[in-house]
Amino acid sequence: MPRWDMDYIIGLTLRYGVIISIALILIGIVLFHVKGEALGCSENLVMSPTSPINTTVIPPGYALSRLPYLDPLSFVILGLMVLIATPVLRVALGVASFAMERDWLYVLITTVVFINLMLAIFILPSIMHLHANYQLLRILCPQR
Amino acid sequence: MVLLKTIFCCIELLVFSIIAGLLGSLTGLGGGTVLVPLLTLFLGIPIAYAAGASLISTIATSSGAASAYIRDKITNVRIGMGLEIATTTGSIVGSLTAAFIYSHGLAWIVYVVFGIVILTSIIPTAQRGKYEIPDPRPPDWTTKVFKLYGSYYDEAIKTEVKYWGVRWWLGELIMFFAGFISGLLGIGSGALKVLGMDWAMNLPMKVSTTTSNFMIGVTAATGSALYWYFGYIQPMMAAVTAIGVLIGAMSGTKILVRITNKQVRWVFLAILAFLGMEMLLKGLYMDHIITIPVATQYALSLIFTAIVMSLLYYRYGVLARKPNREGVVMGGGNA
Repeated sequence: MPRWDMDYIIGLTLRYGVIISIALILIGIVLFHVKGEALGCSENLVMSPTSPINTTVIPPGYALSRLPYLDPLSFVILGLMVLIATPVLRVALGVASFAMERDWLYVLITTVVFINLMLAIFILPSIMHLHANYQLLRILCPQR
Repeated sequence: MVLLKTIFCCIELLVFSIIAGLLGSLTGLGGGTVLVPLLTLFLGIPIAYAAGASLISTIATSSGAASAYIRDKITNVRIGMGLEIATTTGSIVGSLTAAFIYSHGLAWIVYVVFGIVILTSIIPTAQRGKYEIPDPRPPDWTTKVFKLYGSYYDEAIKTEVKYWGVRWWLGELIMFFAGFISGLLGIGSGALKVLGMDWAMNLPMKVSTTTSNFMIGVTAATGSALYWYFGYIQPMMAAVTAIGVLIGAMSGTKILVRITNKQVRWVFLAILAFLGMEMLLKGLYMDHIITIPVATQYALSLIFTAIVMSLLYYRYGVLARKPNREGVVMGGGNA
């Protein structure tokens, strides 16, 4: 008998976050084996252990825009993003949960954790000018 | 032919990831600690990519397991959240340090630190199970301010266990270090997190392990976001390993319940000792601090493993089973 308290919601978030991301990743891997290429890159290039096709040459926006074309890497990238977003969502729900208990010290603590996550995901990379290089991807994998 | 090669590569990667997840959950160290050495030593994957893939798979296993633990109400969310301030900060510093190390071609440092971390986590793992419920310490000011009280129902002894944490500041300090190691090496560093809660904050083992598991996901998410921008995540590799480690970890939990002969874990610990020594030697070899051929490195690691394991087995395995011998029981516990 499920009780819809905050812990239950948090548990569900974590579980479905992982399930959705693993499903997306699996779709990506299957598509990859069917198509034999991803974002215009050959199978060998993508799978090689020292492959240059890493997260610095795939702009997330570009990868997501290829989703309707059933591009394998688009699904994998989206799956990985969902996976990273799951704990972030969990911390955000934590802030709400402590606020509902009116435990302001822990609202503050959880907010600091959330700020740290935002630092790592958005703020620091933008300060350090770390942007994915689309031109490099096109040099590595000229579009056919 | 090309397709065959890809499938072969994938299967190789998948099998190694499953083994890592399995060993990680059976030893309680987490998939990453085994995954990174396996990928770098045997598949020739650059350590930055291995670390990136390991962080991603750590998020998957942690979130998957945490969803189950939260329902059991053993995880102490307050203590976990409070300590995450330190682990996420540590992880940011660790990831930036890793970026500095890799961009300056100093990857050997990561190998050496990795080796040392594995080797030093073997001993606490060997004596694990000793302090199931710690002797209570008087609550200090942090206990009251940060509300470090809690209780859980222990299935094994059929009672409600009440506990409280002390020395919050010391816990934070150790957690910062745990976060740093997590960001630097791309692992969950669950062993260090348990040390912080078990030893520093005097929490029961069950609370430490489940709370640590809950924290690992958030810490790894911090690290992998930065790894993402630095380009240490090779999407396809991370995808295959995440699935493999998750399969391995889930089967590991199932196997763990069925293992009645606790002696099996000495085999797992031996594998860890070997991997740790190999990483250390490879790091030193890369920087030309030692110049012994690779075959000799393997031989040395094997000899080292044999010696260390027989010592540990004698100390914690054989002596601990003779309870009437005074003086030896102190470090032992139920092996």
